[in-house]
Amino acid sequence: MTFWSQALEIARVDLAVERRLGDSLRIVTPFAIVALIVFPLALGAQLSLIAEIGPAVFWALGVLFGMQIALRRSANDTPHRRDLYALIGLDPAAKYVGRVISGGVLMLAFLIVLYVAMLVLYSPDLPGGATWIAMLTALLFGVGLTELGTMAGEVTSGLSNRSSLASLIVAPLALPLVIGASQTLEALDRDVSILPWILLLLATDLALAVAGVALARPIEESMR
Amino acid sequence: MTKVRVLLGLAGVALVVGLWFALTAPADALQGEYSRIINIHVPTIWVAYVAFVVTSVGSLMWMWKKTPKWDRLAASSVEVGVLFTGISLLTGMIWGNAVWGTAWDWGDARLTTTAVMFFVYLGYLALRNSIDDPKVRAKRSAILGIIAVVQVPLTYFAVNLFRTLHQTQSIRPDGSTMPDEMIVAMMVNLGAFTLLYVALLVARIEVAVAEEAASARDTALAGDAVKPPKLDEVRDV
Amino acid sequence: MDSLVALNGIGVSLGGKQILRALDVKLQPGEILGVSGPNGSGKTTLVRLLATLLRPDKGSGVVLEAELGSNDIYRARRSIGLIGHTPALIDELSLRENLIHFARLGGPDAEQVDQVLSVVGLEDAGGRLTSASSFGMKRRIEVAYLLMTRPSLVLLDEATSGLDSAAQGLVAALLERTINLGGGALMVSHDADSLESVCGRLLRIHDGRLESTQ
Repeated sequence: MTFWSQALEIARVDLAVERRLGDSLRIVTPFAIVALIVFPLALGAQLSLIAEIGPAVFWALGVLFGMQIALRRSANDTPHRRDLYALIGLDPAAKYVGRVISGGVLMLAFLIVLYVAMLVLYSPDLPGGATWIAMLTALLFGVGLTELGTMAGEVTSGLSNRSSLASLIVAPLALPLVIGASQTLEALDRDVSILPWILLLLATDLALAVAGVALARPIEESMR
Repeated sequence: MTKVRVLLGLAGVALVVGLWFALTAPADALQGEYSRIINIHVPTIWVAYVAFVVTSVGSLMWMWKKTPKWDRLAASSVEVGVLFTGISLLTGMIWGNAVWGTAWDWGDARLTTTAVMFFVYLGYLALRNSIDDPKVRAKRSAILGIIAVVQVPLTYFAVNLFRTLHQTQSIRPDGSTMPDEMIVAMMVNLGAFTLLYVALLVARIEVAVAEEAASARDTALAGDAVKPPKLDEVRDV
Repeated sequence: MDSLVALNGIGVSLGGKQILRALDVKLQPGEILGVSGPNGSGKTTLVRLLATLLRPDKGSGVVLEAELGSNDIYRARRSIGLIGHTPALIDELSLRENLIHFARLGGPDAEQVDQVLSVVGLEDAGGRLTSASSFGMKRRIEVAYLLMTRPSLVLLDEATSGLDSAAQGLVAALLERTINLGGGALMVSHDADSLESVCGRLLRIHDGRLESTQ
């Protein structure tokens, strides 16, 4: 079987399992929207401040809750399944790419829902064309976060504190993504070029993709 | 299924009648045609309150009697209640955007508490979905169903507890702020949506019964479905 | 191929503890080797070593002409079949979906799945969710996969524990076919009696060392 057919098979099954478990859409997404509600309640009804912080809160919650999507149960293999995958000849890099594909689909759906909820709840005053730029930015942000989260999930696989430990590992490493994404909208608002920030996001995504593929086998072998 | 069809049919007729009343009642002097949304917005949230109270009653009865029918009632009522809460939130946002110029106002306590109520019961559904064992599922969701009902009075009385953008109750024991024709239209729609709730509830309970029967069949079949292996065909694989 | 497996003075340590010590063992084509031993004696570690999933830290070993610790093990793995003491299936998929998934990844013809399900007696149960299936049913799926892949080396770790006689017969048929195709097998179990009827040679593992029982 080719690299890409293995990757697509992993992505296919991952999404099938996730459809049956429903963690991402039925638990993580509603939880993130509740978190969106918590911020303004804590601030009091300061409408202009709420409108101003809307996009920033979106990116912050995107990282924190997006991590839970990257660490979903369907992406966590038992030790016996790892052994079986190794014997079958599943390329660890193909498994990584497959998980990034499935995670990316879920992450994008989550970010779209969260973004719409933020628009409704915070009524930010966004410049013209912001929604399309935000979608592009969210796509790049989501792919990078998925790549990072998938690697962190592999490194912490089998550990009892996996969820919190992986989040601790990812959150600081996700800073270039948060900066790139938030500064893109900031640049749009100030009517300056967004290109440097888009390039930052692209470069981060590419670097994470290369790192993930290159490190997949060493990470897999370190599990033994 | 015949019972469900009859109920849905009756609800459909009642909704059409309600729609006629809603469209022929006078519009609000200030809000214009947008005021007619009240005929969906208010009845749906009322029915949602009823649905969640039914859930709490079903949960209490399950804790007492431990029979599956109470668990089915509680869970089915939450599903319909969440649907109606969502409709009420959506129509409220449309109405609010048209009348106040904003779909969401953080100064509106009822809006916020209704949204919180929506997510509390989404959490109830997520909890049920996470548990395979029917007895454990029934017990844990009964506990949540009893606790969560506190959201109902909190949401209903939010407009009285906090001075907010949301209008206070339109119909109170000391009288009403609405013209009679609007009250009639709203009451007819309240009846129609209540019928719809009952129809959907009965339908959902029937589906739950069918799901339990299918699950029991699957479990019983485990031994029957496993046949002796065909050892003489092993070499041909 | 002279030997399917040849280990010389192999030692494996895990978590700072020496699990296997100075192991010398050969497995020839056509042979079923049984290894018994108490819990914690290193049986599973031995199985995983032979599956090339562990690297030795002492001695040398060759499995299916691949030196342990070299990159040749990735080639050898395609001809190794393993049934571990815990099923490796995905709970949220049905039994049939699991088989299709592993077949698609591993290369055997996924079209064969229905035929193999019938051979292992699960043609009516293939649609059942794995989480709702019995241990025996999951084991049959694992045997089904090995029937599809035709490994030269079959490794069984407590594979027949808890199985009914029909399922045990299926495992025996798998081993017989493997032998007939020129392969070999290693079975480990804490129950030496269960190995006697199946295995041509029996060894006992104790404190990380292999001893002959004969």
